[in-house]
Amino acid sequence: MTGKRFKTIAFDGLLKNNPTLRLVLGTCPTLALSTAALNGIGMGLAVTFILICSNVLISLLRKTIPNAVRIPAFVIIIATFVTIVRMVLDKFIPSLYDSMGVYLPLIVVNCIILGRAESFASKNTVLDSACDGLFTGLGFTCALTLIGAVREILGAGAIFGVRLWDFKIEFFTSSAGAFFVYGLAIAIFNAVYSKVENVRRSKTFALRMLPKPDVSAPDNLDPDASGEAEKANTTADVTAKEVK
Amino acid sequence: MTVKQFFKSQAFKCIIVLLVIALIAGGLLAILNDVLYVTEEERTMRAIEKVYGQEMQYEEKQFPEEAYSNSYGSISKVYFLENGNYLVQSTGGEGYKGGTITVWVVLNFDGTSFKGIDKVVQESYEKQTLMSKLSYDVYSAHNDEVTGEVYFTTKDDGIKVVISGATYSTNALNNAVDCALKFAHEYLVENATQEVE
Repeated sequence: MTGKRFKTIAFDGLLKNNPTLRLVLGTCPTLALSTAALNGIGMGLAVTFILICSNVLISLLRKTIPNAVRIPAFVIIIATFVTIVRMVLDKFIPSLYDSMGVYLPLIVVNCIILGRAESFASKNTVLDSACDGLFTGLGFTCALTLIGAVREILGAGAIFGVRLWDFKIEFFTSSAGAFFVYGLAIAIFNAVYSKVENVRRSKTFALRMLPKPDVSAPDNLDPDASGEAEKANTTADVTAKEVK
Repeated sequence: MTVKQFFKSQAFKCIIVLLVIALIAGGLLAILNDVLYVTEEERTMRAIEKVYGQEMQYEEKQFPEEAYSNSYGSISKVYFLENGNYLVQSTGGEGYKGGTITVWVVLNFDGTSFKGIDKVVQESYEKQTLMSKLSYDVYSAHNDEVTGEVYFTTKDDGIKVVISGATYSTNALNNAVDCALKFAHEYLVENATQEVE
């Protein structure tokens, strides 16, 4: 895997196709488990682990699993890893296991995992799939932790279980508060992302719009000017290729 | 389709692939289940640790069948702890949408006499949607010395009124605690006397 490919996968998973804030996937655990930042981290890391493992295995078996039964095969693989995570958490981190409740087994039908298996892991190499699982999972973890932190600070006056002040607005710990913060997070993230993307696009567009020099013109005899124009032309062509 | 054609068909390949994946996954989970199995003793120790903040030796107590339910709810587990107190898991009904709340109640005994409730810790609940309203203060409102048979209520006509923003859920919580209290009055005092003797 080249460095450029790695960067693209990382950028896609964390920002461009962030499962929670851009694709609005995995809404059920996001709303239910973002009451505290620690819950968000726990859920996010569990999903990340399952994503990496299932992506790797599905990528390994992509040529073996017949197309007609790929979805049931993916579900069995994902369910196996979810059950393993449940067993491990119940044995070693029972408090986290209790706080996740029914949302832990529900990871089996989490559309982020099934979506990445179907759209990425079943078509790409093992290493690419592992990286995709890692960064998509991290994108999900960051979003969940961010929303959880905001709700915990405003709703409980604490962060990561550490009390900050006595002031609290209980609305933020309720379901309505979850929808409110989630909606706000999506709006802010997309506004910032669009702004940055627009700036990037206008820069690319400006480069593409650089005038191409007319080499056949009889008065274009200055060797320095000709060289600069050629350089600008080449840059514009390269940028255009990148954009394509 | 002949038998030979079936064995060469895509359908047969699909069945085999799914079967192999399911068998390997099943085998792996069976092994891991054996390795990572959480025993009943371990769960009880966790519950005690949740209540006391430390591990403590305990002995499970058995009572006649009729002792495990009363007008307030039902008792599922009773443990006699090394410090002389009793740890009781009780479930109270009549919560929101007829749901229940299950709690661990630490019943404080001084030798043979029942002193009151030391601690109430939530274990689980069913159908309750406003559990966040039951803050630490609501649970700790039950920690009190008990003189005579006094029970908790959400209505303003009792001596021990415990109420929160979620009235029905608090009612279920009070019932769970009252269930443990009634059990203590009816069975544990006598049992404690026998323990001391």
